[in-house]
Order: sequence, then C-alpha cells, then structure tokens
Amino acid sequence: MEERPLPVTTRADVLRKLDEIPALPMAATAVLRLAEDPRTGIGEIMKAIEYDPGLTSDILRLANTAYFAGPRKIASLRDAGVLFGTQRIVELVLASSIFPITQKPLVGYDLPAGELTRHAMALAIGAECIAEMLDRPAPTHTFTSALLADIGKVILGTFLAVDAAPILSLALERNLSFEVAEREILGIDHAEAGAALLDQWNLPSGIIEVVRWHHNPEELTGDRYVVDLVNVAMHLTVGCGIGVGIDGLNYRPCQSSVDRLGLDQLQLEQATCDMLVAFRDIELQLPGHRDGADDGV
Amino acid sequence: MRSVKLTVGISDMKVSSEKNDVIVTYSLGSCIGLSLYDPVVQVGGIVHCMLPLSKIDPARAAAMPLMFTDTGSSRLIEAILQQGARTPRLIAKVAGAAKLLDNGTTFNIGARNQVVLRKVLWKNKILIAKEETGGTRARTMSLYLDTGRTILRSGGQEYEL
Repeated sequence: MEERPLPVTTRADVLRKLDEIPALPMAATAVLRLAEDPRTGIGEIMKAIEYDPGLTSDILRLANTAYFAGPRKIASLRDAGVLFGTQRIVELVLASSIFPITQKPLVGYDLPAGELTRHAMALAIGAECIAEMLDRPAPTHTFTSALLADIGKVILGTFLAVDAAPILSLALERNLSFEVAEREILGIDHAEAGAALLDQWNLPSGIIEVVRWHHNPEELTGDRYVVDLVNVAMHLTVGCGIGVGIDGLNYRPCQSSVDRLGLDQLQLEQATCDMLVAFRDIELQLPGHRDGADDGV
Repeated sequence: MRSVKLTVGISDMKVSSEKNDVIVTYSLGSCIGLSLYDPVVQVGGIVHCMLPLSKIDPARAAAMPLMFTDTGSSRLIEAILQQGARTPRLIAKVAGAAKLLDNGTTFNIGARNQVVLRKVLWKNKILIAKEETGGTRARTMSLYLDTGRTILRSGGQEYEL
C-alpha cells in the first residue's frame, strides 16, 4: 500500500478551529431568531437591523441592485422591508453579515481578498436563476444555502491556511474531485467543515443539510431540489472562474442533479448568462470589488 | 513612468495603445481569453468571453456582445483595427477553456468556446501564435503593451505564453 506522510492538519484540528471563527453580528443573530417565529412582523426585524448602521448600509447597497429591486430606488430599510418582505430581508442580512468573514484572502486556496464573497453571491444568484428558468419556485432557504455553501473554505483556507498543494496533487493524480481529496488528506472536506460552522451559528437545519451535501446531493435524504440547484449553480460559478483558486475546476458535477432538474446544455448556458447579467450589477456593490479597479501596478 | 493596470472582467474587453499599460483578466475558467497585439503600432487588447454562441440569447447579445465568444472576439478585432493595428501583424494568444471533471457534454462550455474562437479567428485570417487551453486550472492572463508579452498565472506559477 502506498505510504503517505502524516497530514499536518487533521479533522480534529479543523473542528477545533471553529471556535476561532467570528460569530455572526448580533443584529444578524437577532434577525434570524425573530424570523423563525412566523408571528414576527417586518417592523420588528427592521428594528433589529437598524441597531447596526454598517449592516444597514450594506443591505441597502445590495437592495438597490437591479437583481433585487429592478428599476426602483430604495431609500431606506423600511422601503426595502415593504418591497421585499421578511424572507428577502433575512437573506440580505445574512449575505451582508458574512462579508467580513468571506472577504479575507484564503491563503490555503490561493484566493485573493474578496473572491469568496464574489463566489458566494454568484452561487446564490445562480441557484435562483436556475429555478426561475425552470419556472419552479426556489424554496425559501435556496438563496442562503447557496450563499453559505462554501463557507467551510474559510476554516480550511484562512484559519488553518491548509497547504492545498498536496490536496491538489492527489486530486490530479487520482482524478478526484477536490473535496474528495480534502477528505483523503485532512479527514474532512470544506462542506462538512462549513456545516459544522453553521451548526455552531445555530442556523436552520435545512440550510445546514444543503451545505453539508452540496457536493454529494445523493447523500441528502428527502427532497433534493435545493441541493440540486446549489450543486449545479456551484459548477456554473466555478466554470465562470468566480472564486476559483488553486483548486481550479477540479470538481465533479452531479449528473443526477442535472437530470433531476431536467437541464440540457443550452439551458445551462442560458442560466449562466442570467447569472452573469445579475452578478455584474451586484458585484459592483460588494466590498472591495475587483473589476473596474484599474490602478497602478 | 508608473504602469497602469486595466482590468478586464467577465464579458468585458480593454484595448490600449499606451506603452505603460498592462491589461489583465483574472481567473479564466471555462471562459476564453483572447489577447491581440500589433507590435508595430504597439496596440493591444484582451477580451474575456464566457459563452460560445450569441444565438442562445439574441437580446442579451445585442446588449452585451462581449459575453459571447463569437460576438466578443469579433468586437475585439474591430476595436484593435480601429486603433491602427493591421491584421497580418496581429499576434493572437489564447488562454482558458478549462473543464470540470468528467463533464461529458453537459458542462462542456470550455471546449465549445475554443471551437467558436478558432472559427472567428480563421474567418478573419488571424493565426494563433500561442495558446494554453483545457485542463482543470484557472488562468489569469496579462498583456504588457510595451513589448506585447503575454503572461499567464495559474496554479501559483507565473510564466510567459
């Protein structure tokens, strides 16, 4: 049997690092808690957000993009609440809340600052675009599940700065999908690490399950519509080179997800087109966006 | 003099005749990046296209021709010729068109981008001087306007194409 050097990082190391990841901002936690109660009015949610001016400003920037607001101008959080309703507001709160966490460079994955934020947002939009194209409404946890699908890369790539070179070598040598090689080398992959983090943040189990199995939709029991959307959107996003580091395009799409959604190649291209059009606009509102930042070198 | 970086996003292009400029496009996955340079007039440009054929969405193609390889590469050729470049002198370099694992035909956008680009260049009588395409690596491509050298960065390494 082939001998491999002992890994520097183990599954236990990864799970121990969870405590070092910053918690979600208090406003986000409060909003999530309030949103769990169907009796909560939009006014109460707005009040919880307004305590955090930075969060409010980030939400308004996203809310004013064509993807979310169309041609309308949203001047205040209250306007956003009236226009979007509770669900979308909660999604925007979570998206804005993870920026400080996803914005850092992921040394281990050779991803520059901001790239995981771009990836998360493109993936979330992509999942919704596919559902829209299929004319099958996306369940309420689709956007957030997609947004957080690769949050586990923060743990492996930033807090542990795992050396991805041996993972990549193994993936290439044995034609493995990158997350499979992560499991072989580290004993855990970014999907499982991400799910553990979201569990620590007390996010709803529906979201955690999708994040946990977004690379392996067949492992998820029950309805697989959301995980299928996330799996396909993830591969469209990676195909576009958004959030791709040393792992490259070493990911294997789940053909069963494509089949269950009934997608053909032209539909995938159409969904990519829809996603990119929406993303172009949103990207300009993300912190430290790269495109257009023409400057000295 | 300080060099200036011009960033080309997805579905975007930049053309320049400023010798100090560097045109960069990041993270080409299945997308295709075409770099054209005329060494006599020192005019160059890069286009970064995502999808092969504009006919899948004519309305979008009219609004965003650079998203598609057929219309995007044609636009780059037109733009660079307008700035004084001449077709026989053009040095064309191509990067990208990577693929996901075992994607069969469903996710085969990269290979289709490559085929479409070759047709456009052939119709315009432009030969490809160098190319690095396929595989599973994402690539960042830079064009230096002073010399026309094209640099790729991929998998943590940097080298001239």
